[in-house]
Amino acid sequence: MNKLFRFFLFLIVLAVLGANAFAGQGAKPDYVKSANDGNAKKGDTLIFPIKIYQKYISSADGDRCPSYPTCSQYCSEAIKKHGAFLGWIMCSDRLIRDGRDETRLSDPVWVNGKKRTYDPVSNNDFWW
Amino acid sequence: MIIMHTRSAHSTCLFFPLAFFISLFLSVGPSFAAGDTPTPTNPLMVLSADKQFQYAQDLFSTKDYSTASGEYKRFVYFFPKDRRVEFSMYQIGMSHFLGGHYQEAVSAFKKLTEQYFDTEYATKSYYRISDAYIKMKAFEQALIDLNNLVTITHNPDAKDEAYYRMGWIYIETASWNEARRYFNKISAKNRHKFELKKLSAALEKETAIPHKNPKLAGFLSIVPGAGYLYCGRYQDALIAFLLNGGLIYAAYESFDKGQSALGGVISFVEFGFYSGNIYGAISSAHKYNREKTGQFIQHIKENVKINLSADMKNKGVTLSLQWSF
Repeated sequence: MNKLFRFFLFLIVLAVLGANAFAGQGAKPDYVKSANDGNAKKGDTLIFPIKIYQKYISSADGDRCPSYPTCSQYCSEAIKKHGAFLGWIMCSDRLIRDGRDETRLSDPVWVNGKKRTYDPVSNNDFWW
Repeated sequence: MIIMHTRSAHSTCLFFPLAFFISLFLSVGPSFAAGDTPTPTNPLMVLSADKQFQYAQDLFSTKDYSTASGEYKRFVYFFPKDRRVEFSMYQIGMSHFLGGHYQEAVSAFKKLTEQYFDTEYATKSYYRISDAYIKMKAFEQALIDLNNLVTITHNPDAKDEAYYRMGWIYIETASWNEARRYFNKISAKNRHKFELKKLSAALEKETAIPHKNPKLAGFLSIVPGAGYLYCGRYQDALIAFLLNGGLIYAAYESFDKGQSALGGVISFVEFGFYSGNIYGAISSAHKYNREKTGQFIQHIKENVKINLSADMKNKGVTLSLQWSF
């Protein structure tokens, strides 16, 4: 039980540090943000596994994501926009929310004749 | 006689083709002869100011805004001393505005305000510039231009309308105190016209807008799902709790049984979901606040805002009130 407590504490510290990291990024001036935008190629290598998933797994598995953009696309955009660390956190958040309360709270959008929930990255980072 | 008859028939046969070609030459000839030279039967078209202006107006009224703006420009260029030039310049801006080209509209209206000072259309242009900036979500720029109008105009009514518009821009950005400050600047004689009593009463209700504290949502998320629960996302809360609980337990078991590599991988995944649970709760609180504030703004816009855009179609300054009973 002591181990579980220590592990849990470790997670909290890590997550709080993570939260501080993205809070800090929000406060960065514009010129720093534009410098980060130049890391598009770096983002491309980071999202390589997502591209593999989209090309070989998702295409065989079928188009079942109830959100638009799809979760893989959302993760890809989040990583490109905010880097691997925050992108991974935003991606995890999206996977928790996908297809549940978000369908009730967000606007619907019709994509290829299917009703999806409109939940872009900009809808989840507008506040920082 | 026979010969005579024969000759007569022959001459008749020659006469008709000849007459045809002569008549053809006479009918076609003058048009070749005339060439580009104007004649009384083919005068050059003379464009009058009235015709040009009417053409532009017709295009504008049929909502062909892109062509209308070009024709108003032509009018301004060819008849620069006409009394309708200022109005035409205003219409150029309106054509861009109604056509959805807001940046071009701003440029056109600014051109008018640089040329004319404190006139009816110059004042209107300042309003339209701010409207265009609002459409582009550039609220600060919209405020700056209205503030410029307040500084330069000597017309108290124009100033009051600018204050009213500035107040509404602050409402759009949920800056309630700033909105109140600008509404309070409106002179006493226009307070009734702008329904300020009703507006103030509506603004007082802003304290009752439901609100979720993002920091509290983040703090509560230390227990996975509790932040989502606080924001009214019950399904998300349950999933966050089960997912994080399951992964934490799996990681603990892995480490406990000496499978450090597996434990590390699970911890890495769990770290994402645990942080995501905190991030999502904070984000959900912000989204909740945004939605509720938006609903409140929409409500007061529908109920107490005076429609100042009724003069968009050049019907003069018309104020229309709308409220629900």
